Amino acid sequence: MGSSTKKKKEKAKDFQKTKLKVGKARPKNTNATDTSFAAKSIVFKQQSVSETRDATALFNHNLSLLSSKTEPQRRDALQYLTTACQVAGEELPQPASAVISKAQPLILDGSNGVRQQLLKLFKALQGDIGPLEQLLLYTRAGMTHLSTEIRLSALAVLDWLLRTQTDAVLTCPGGWIKTTKTFQNLLSWQGGLSSTGATMNGKWSATKAATSLGNNKLLVQQLNSLATFLTAGLTPEPVDPDAAGRRAADLFPLWHTDAHVLPKGSNPFGYLNLFGAPRDAESEVYDDAESRYEIFGELGLLADFQAGVKEAKKEGGEVGRAAALVDKALRLADDR
Amino acid sequence: MKRKVGALEKVDADLPNLQHKIKVDPISYQEDFVNQYGLYTSIHELFLTSPTTTDDTGLVRLRDLIDFISHTADCYPKIAGSFPNDLIKLLQLHHATLDPELRDKIVGSLVLLRKKDMIDSNTLLNTLWPLLVSTPSKSLRALLYQKIVSDLRNSNSKTTNHKLNRSMQTTCYNLIASDPASPKGIWAVKLTRELWKRQVWSDAKAVSIMEIAALSQEAKVVTGGVRFFLGGDQEREEAADEESDQEEKNISMGKLRHQAGINKKTAKRDNDLRAAAKKVKRNEKKKGAPHPLNFSALHLLHDPQGFAEKLFQQHLQPSQPKVRLNLEQKLFVLQLVSRLVGLHKLTLIPLYSYFLKFLTPRQPSVTSFLASLAQATHNLVPPDVLEPLVQKIANEFVSEAAAAQVASAGLNGIREVCVRQPLAMNETLLQDLVQYRKSKDKGVQMAARGLLSLYREVGAEMLRKRDRGRDAAMKVRSGEMDGARRFGHVEEGGIEGLELLEKWKEEQGQEGSEDEAAGWDNWDARSDSSESSGGWVNVESEGEEIDISDSEDEREKGAEKKRKMENARVKKAVGKENVDEDDKPAEKTPAKLEASQRATASLEPAAALKREEARVSTLATTRILTPADLAKLQELRQSAAVTASLPSAKRRKLQQDAAAKTAARHADDAVTAVDIEGLAKLSHKATKEEKVRMAKGLGLPNGATEDAGANDHRSTTARRKEKKAAEGKSTTNREKARKKNFLMTLGKAKRKGKRSLGETAKVLKAHVERGKRGGRRGNK
Repeated sequence: MGSSTKKKKEKAKDFQKTKLKVGKARPKNTNATDTSFAAKSIVFKQQSVSETRDATALFNHNLSLLSSKTEPQRRDALQYLTTACQVAGEELPQPASAVISKAQPLILDGSNGVRQQLLKLFKALQGDIGPLEQLLLYTRAGMTHLSTEIRLSALAVLDWLLRTQTDAVLTCPGGWIKTTKTFQNLLSWQGGLSSTGATMNGKWSATKAATSLGNNKLLVQQLNSLATFLTAGLTPEPVDPDAAGRRAADLFPLWHTDAHVLPKGSNPFGYLNLFGAPRDAESEVYDDAESRYEIFGELGLLADFQAGVKEAKKEGGEVGRAAALVDKALRLADDR
Repeated sequence: MKRKVGALEKVDADLPNLQHKIKVDPISYQEDFVNQYGLYTSIHELFLTSPTTTDDTGLVRLRDLIDFISHTADCYPKIAGSFPNDLIKLLQLHHATLDPELRDKIVGSLVLLRKKDMIDSNTLLNTLWPLLVSTPSKSLRALLYQKIVSDLRNSNSKTTNHKLNRSMQTTCYNLIASDPASPKGIWAVKLTRELWKRQVWSDAKAVSIMEIAALSQEAKVVTGGVRFFLGGDQEREEAADEESDQEEKNISMGKLRHQAGINKKTAKRDNDLRAAAKKVKRNEKKKGAPHPLNFSALHLLHDPQGFAEKLFQQHLQPSQPKVRLNLEQKLFVLQLVSRLVGLHKLTLIPLYSYFLKFLTPRQPSVTSFLASLAQATHNLVPPDVLEPLVQKIANEFVSEAAAAQVASAGLNGIREVCVRQPLAMNETLLQDLVQYRKSKDKGVQMAARGLLSLYREVGAEMLRKRDRGRDAAMKVRSGEMDGARRFGHVEEGGIEGLELLEKWKEEQGQEGSEDEAAGWDNWDARSDSSESSGGWVNVESEGEEIDISDSEDEREKGAEKKRKMENARVKKAVGKENVDEDDKPAEKTPAKLEASQRATASLEPAAALKREEARVSTLATTRILTPADLAKLQELRQSAAVTASLPSAKRRKLQQDAAAKTAARHADDAVTAVDIEGLAKLSHKATKEEKVRMAKGLGLPNGATEDAGANDHRSTTARRKEKKAAEGKSTTNREKARKKNFLMTLGKAKRKGKRSLGETAKVLKAHVERGKRGGRRGNK
């Protein structure tokens, strides 16, 4: 019975008149894509669920934690890396340059603890730490930072660099002029600006006191670092007339040995700047004291610095003593 | 030990604060700026070495520094001279990989630097435009587009910046012209349309951008260009209306002054009042200013014929076109082509045969095709091209077997075609179609009647004798009908109500030149100063006198003389009146009535009519109408309109009004599918469900497009209640009074009768007082 009614309905369907509407809009395509869905995301509470890891994996994991969002995690990771470096010496799972490139952004880190730990890590690192261009960039950024704390720790990094990698710092592109200019800005030793008052567009204005309150410590630190930096940069290499002869005698049958042995540092032809953007006077490489001295005088930095030091020496006390050190460094340039 | 932080140091670490201080006293804070700029340069350098990292490290973000420097750079142009170029380079090189927030900040900073005149508009637009075209980010595109539009509007706000406009228009044009197949052209289209809408660009160059867009090889660009021509001008008008609406919603000075009198007087309030007064004055001035004359895009086209031909040949005619358009897009193109053909009276013969295959009831959106066909028809289209089309519509749509909706759409389509080219119809077909006015269905009936009334006016001799009606039959008998039935015949123009003025002058006897001179003397009746009008008299009246003396002599014998000489011309004029009738129905009726009455009365009705016509034409061609004349003309027209609304004329007037509504459409307006479907709606029978829904005020089911107001079957009370609710009110006082419990009203009614005279007076006074105050609580 059921089937007969069904059949009847089917038959009736054949004779049903289709309703016709004029000017009806086109129906939607059968292959039209339905876009009425919403995307959802899954959130994990833990970053990693695996338990057992070997030293290498742990080292790499801690290295990756350096860019973590939470401050204690960064500090702990730095701590782990420091001890690992101290224990392992040169046999680290990653080269020192990789560690540096991961850790250098932390120079600008907001937390004091992290920055102190970072300095410890730097000091613990052994072996070749690779090109310093990036590291210097970060250091300079730290030196000009708004926060005094960050400035101080950046200066500490610079001091460390000057102690351990003097030549590399001075000969890296922009290492000489850019750094001195940063110091000039920091100390406000621009020669053109008078310190008592200025008029611009017919408006009179009083400048505020040059030294900020409570900043003496920073100023002293800055002056000390500057003195170290200038001394390192302007001291001519001890010329030993016999050295070349002695060396040649040692290696007697060979000539121009240095040109034939494998380079010791990374990127030995970097100073040629074959692949980078063209450099201007500021970011050029000055690889001996003579050329450094020349550009130092050419840009008028020498005169500005001398004037600035003169003012600073008048302050006396710690600042005066630090300024005297700078003055001594500047004498190196004067002597020529 | 914790180091003490000096107050000054704390403050300087705060960039917004420093920014404010720098703006106040740039010289003193130069050192601080130099320090910040140094920080910016070092961070910027760092950033350049790895632009993909987010700049969230440390305390200071590059974003904040950029913001700070862009706000203060104008104070130290020497120090920060390279800053804009830095930003531009950063954006150009790394826009795809930058952090979105930083990227948006850079764009915003560039615009800010433009506002501070650190860079010029050209540089800004040349930076932003290529990014807009090339960036894959949607949000950046939206931002860039908005900035570009606002910059263009700003630089055109006081005076038109032709140089900038030209360079930008050339860029847009080249973008499409250089690569017609790329979808990037859509941005040129979008920008042009927006600026057209805002009336920033309203010249032929902008139209030429859209022209090339419509002829490009990318579906979206083509549609954008075509839709601009179809709707751009309407959009512009609407935008202008909206703007003026917003202005009208302004302050009422009286209220402000009143408030100023009450409130405490302060300098700020004084200033506010003054500013408001100024604004009101400005708005008044703007209202008085002449409407900016803007040509529509369709009229600014350089070569409409070429454009229409190219559009048709490129997108519609070929079976394998370069760009595949879907039906909807094709319909847009077709609408534009037919619009161009209709508006500029172009000749595009292959277009009509193209229509042939689409004219079946089963074709989707067939009413749009019918509308396009009607649009493409004008009086210079050869009738033999249209005849097969009309025949096909009649065969496919109009038959007893076809659904009522289909038949009425077909009849309507035929009518729209025949309004524009009456010669497209042949006699047998017309007589056949007119039969449908006996149909049972309302829609078909009305459509057929429309066709009938059309042919009563333009070709009554084609109708059967009993279908012609009285007026048409009389005209056919007097032989006035054949003038309009010739191909290529063009009507003369006329001045509305001129015959009324002529008659009035005759009655007044005011034909002499002195009167005319007097008319020029007080041509501006309302203005008191006669200085300007004096100038008018001296120059105009001399020439006028000569002219008039000429025409006056002729006019006496003109009726007889011209009857023979200008027979053909007069006939045409009569024809014109017939065709043009719907344009000015109310005004002309008395004259026409009069004419027809005279015609029935006299033995030679045609002669009388001709005499009338001859006189009218001489008035318009031999005299310059003075402003006084025009004022009188206006007055006469109005009085004629009043007489026309007398009961006897009322029915006729109603009929003609309906006809006028369809015919009085401006030539620029488009025929749409709705016009064709209009009567088909009458054929639709509502189902029970639909009726129930309408009674509930829910509107039509499954989102039908008809407006709810037309099908609102609810009671008046329900409607009123809804209106009240929309206003945020509940019930009227009347309603409350009506619903009040009867027993509660009893006491008052009892008491009311026993009140003393004094009490009554007091109550009445209180009532008046309350009315003045505006209710019990006072309408403050």
